[in-house]
Amino acid sequence: MKEKFLLRDLVYIAFLAALTSVLAYFAIPMPGGLPPLTGQSLGVMLAGLLLGAKKGAASQMVYLCLGLLGMPIFANGTAGVGVLAGPTGGFIWGFVAGAFVCGKLTEKNSHATFFSLAVAAALGGVVVVYLPGILQLAAVASVTLTEAVVMMLPFLPGDLIKALLAASLAQKIRPLTKNS
Amino acid sequence: MLKSITIGQFIPGDSLLHRLDARAKFIALLLVIIAVFVVRSFWGYLLLAVFISALLYTAKLPLHYFLRGLRPVYYIMLFTLIIHLFFTKGGAVLLSLGAVTIEANGVYLGIFMVLRIIFLIVSTSLLTLTTSPIALTDALEDLMKPLGKIGVPAHEIAMMMTIALRFIPTLMEEAEKIMKAQMARGADFETGNVFRRAKSLVPLLVPLFVSSFRRADDLAVAMEARCYRGGQGRTRMRQLKITMLDIFAVGISAALIPLMLLLT
Repeated sequence: MKEKFLLRDLVYIAFLAALTSVLAYFAIPMPGGLPPLTGQSLGVMLAGLLLGAKKGAASQMVYLCLGLLGMPIFANGTAGVGVLAGPTGGFIWGFVAGAFVCGKLTEKNSHATFFSLAVAAALGGVVVVYLPGILQLAAVASVTLTEAVVMMLPFLPGDLIKALLAASLAQKIRPLTKNS
Repeated sequence: MLKSITIGQFIPGDSLLHRLDARAKFIALLLVIIAVFVVRSFWGYLLLAVFISALLYTAKLPLHYFLRGLRPVYYIMLFTLIIHLFFTKGGAVLLSLGAVTIEANGVYLGIFMVLRIIFLIVSTSLLTLTTSPIALTDALEDLMKPLGKIGVPAHEIAMMMTIALRFIPTLMEEAEKIMKAQMARGADFETGNVFRRAKSLVPLLVPLFVSSFRRADDLAVAMEARCYRGGQGRTRMRQLKITMLDIFAVGISAALIPLMLLLT
């Protein structure tokens, strides 16, 4: 976030942060007792895919700051410094990096195919988000890395579905906003 | 699917904690969190529990507001406890069922970690329940100002946060409206398997995003028309003020950290 953004970019970033917050309230129940699919990381992927690396990461920064200040916009309506420092906080730090990677992989290519969008979403929105998430979970709850990975496995299928959804959404929305 | 929510957990009041400067509260909270992480023994937790209970009492808010924050992390707390019970070994064997044993160290570490999570969540709720979102945004902008020298745009971040805050309820409403409009056209958001339901979000989210971008364009033009030009020389309606009480609060929280390190 070194250079100054244009005013319009500033407003776009703010809106993507707001949209991520709105998406965090969407939940689809998963079969077989798996944890529900929440839209939060969908916001991460879309922020990167729609705004590009820097602006996408900035929007997740703003989202993180809002949650830090106590807006109940993290998963399940949680918020605050405690969540960020807590066991699942690493995933929220990962959102900033995740949006950046999603954006970096696709911003140069304005006619990205569904497949390349989905790969970018899965890499940025799942892999990059899980890395710090699992590290922090292991550190805060003081379990081993393997145990932390096992704790997060139930979330994986839902997140992969979300990557597909994000790709198909981005494919439809990108041509409509490319005038920026 | 969308629950109606109130943004911000702030509950207005006139307690000592409400009157503290938002910046002081923010720094004090960070210090308390560091203290929670360096605790070494149950004596440390006892002291922290006394400290936090005293703060809860000063805040003069019903206790269930604080406990509400714990509900979402219930799954993680339970899992942490179970993993430590069964997989952390050492100390006296308390229970053995065939190959599975529960040993003293596991019980100790499990309870220790769960307490850590509880303290983290409750102390954070103290900040957000007693400070308004606007005061917090102002405080964050002010605290980030020194970072401006290394290129962090403090004012811009605060401005984006204010815009996002302003539009979260609007976009929620918009989402609800689009949902009803699509349901009137026969869309089905409530049934089917996961893939069907994920797919059903497409006709909801595409219009939501497109209309958001349109709204963002309008706002940018409106701000430009009103000569918005960043934080330079901007004045404020509410000025933040540091009092002796604020310094005292930060001092007490800072004192917690060496105390935690001493109590072994």
